[in-house]
Amino acid sequence: MDSVIAEDLAAFLFAFVAGMLVQRSRFCNTAALRDAILFKTYRNTKALLVAMIILTLGFTTFMTFGAGKPMKFDVGLNQVIGLFLFGIGMVLAGACTVSTWVKSGEGNVGAMWALLFTFVGMFLFSLSWSANFWPPAPTSMTGDPNLPALQFGYSNAATLQEKYGIPAIVFGAIQALVLYAIYRAIRRKEIARENKHGAHAVEQECTSCDAHASLPEAADKAVE
Amino acid sequence: MEAIRNMEFFNKTLDPVIALSAIAILDIFLFLVVGAWTVGGGETMMTGLFAQAIMGEDAVARIPFWSLVFKPDPGYWKIYISLGMLCGSFVSAVISREFYLRFPRRLSEWLMITVGGLLMGIGIRLAFVCNVSTFFGLTPEMNMGGYLSITGIIAGAWVGSMIYKKILEG
Repeated sequence: MDSVIAEDLAAFLFAFVAGMLVQRSRFCNTAALRDAILFKTYRNTKALLVAMIILTLGFTTFMTFGAGKPMKFDVGLNQVIGLFLFGIGMVLAGACTVSTWVKSGEGNVGAMWALLFTFVGMFLFSLSWSANFWPPAPTSMTGDPNLPALQFGYSNAATLQEKYGIPAIVFGAIQALVLYAIYRAIRRKEIARENKHGAHAVEQECTSCDAHASLPEAADKAVE
Repeated sequence: MEAIRNMEFFNKTLDPVIALSAIAILDIFLFLVVGAWTVGGGETMMTGLFAQAIMGEDAVARIPFWSLVFKPDPGYWKIYISLGMLCGSFVSAVISREFYLRFPRRLSEWLMITVGGLLMGIGIRLAFVCNVSTFFGLTPEMNMGGYLSITGIIAGAWVGSMIYKKILEG
C-alpha cells in the first residue's frame, strides 16, 4: 500500500510542476502540430522536438542498463487509427490531453467541456468493446506479431539491444540525430522567413492554444 | 504572497523550449520511478470511477472492458498525473492573475469541442495510447507503437486542420 501512495505522490508532484510550466509557457501539443500545418509557425513544434531529443537520450541511456519502466503492450493498426481519430479531435477541440487539464485549471470552460466529452467518448467505446472484439485485451497479448488481429507485437530500444547486441543508447543517439535534423530544418525555414519579412513576423507567432479563445485571430491568419 | 507574485516566472511568458526541457528532465526521473508521463490511462480510470459512482459497482463490472482491461482503481498513479496538472496550472494561474472563467462564444465552437472531445476519448481507447505517451513516452523509448501513433496523429491533425480551416473560412 505504501508503494502505491509513493507512486501516486511522485506522479502528482511531477504533474504539478509540469502543469505550472505548461501554464506559464502556453505550450500546447495541439498547436505544435496544427500551427505547423496551417500557419507554418513552429513555436510549440520546436519545444516538442527538444523535449523528445532529451527524452530519447535519457530513456535509452537508462534502458541500456535495464533501468526504468518502459510501457509494455503489443501494438498494431489500432494505434494508427486511434491516434488518427485523436488527431482530428484535438484540432477540433483546440486542446489535447495536457492542455484540457491545464486550461481547465485556468478557468477555461471550453476545455472542461472537452474533458467531459473525452470521458463520454471513453465510456461509449467501453460499451462497444468486448474480449472477442478489437483491439485485443492486454491479457491476450503475447509480445509476438499476431497478424490476424493486426497486431505487430512489442519492440523498443531494450528489445533492439537484446536482439542485435548493440547498446540501446546507440539506437537512441540515431533517433536523437534524426529529431535534431528536423529541428534544424525548421530553424532554417524560420531564419529564411525572418530574412524575408523581418524579425517582426516571427514574433507574431500564434502563441495561444486556448480552446477557441483565439478564433478570430486564427481566422485572420487562416484566410491570409 | 506579493513576493511570489513579483517573481519573473509569474509575470512573463516562459519560453516553451525551456519549459519542455525542464519537463523532459523530470519525466526521466518519473520514468525511473513509475513510468513515463502519460494522461490517457488516468482519464480512462477516472471514467471508470465516475461510471461506478453513477451506475453502481455491479453494473460497471458487467461491462467486459471494465473487468478485463481497466478495473476501476482509485490508487492508479496515472489519475494523479491529471490531478497534478490541474492543481499546478490552477495555482500558477491564480498567482499570475490569469485565472478567470472563459466561455466559448459561439454555438459552432461548443459543437466542435463536443465532437473533438468525443473523438479524443474514442481514439485514446482504441489505441491504448494518448498524445502524451506518443511523444513523451513511447517514441523516446523507441517503442514501435510510438512510430505507429505519430503516423496516425500527424495524419489526423492534418485532416483536422483542413476541417478547422473550412469552418473558419465559413
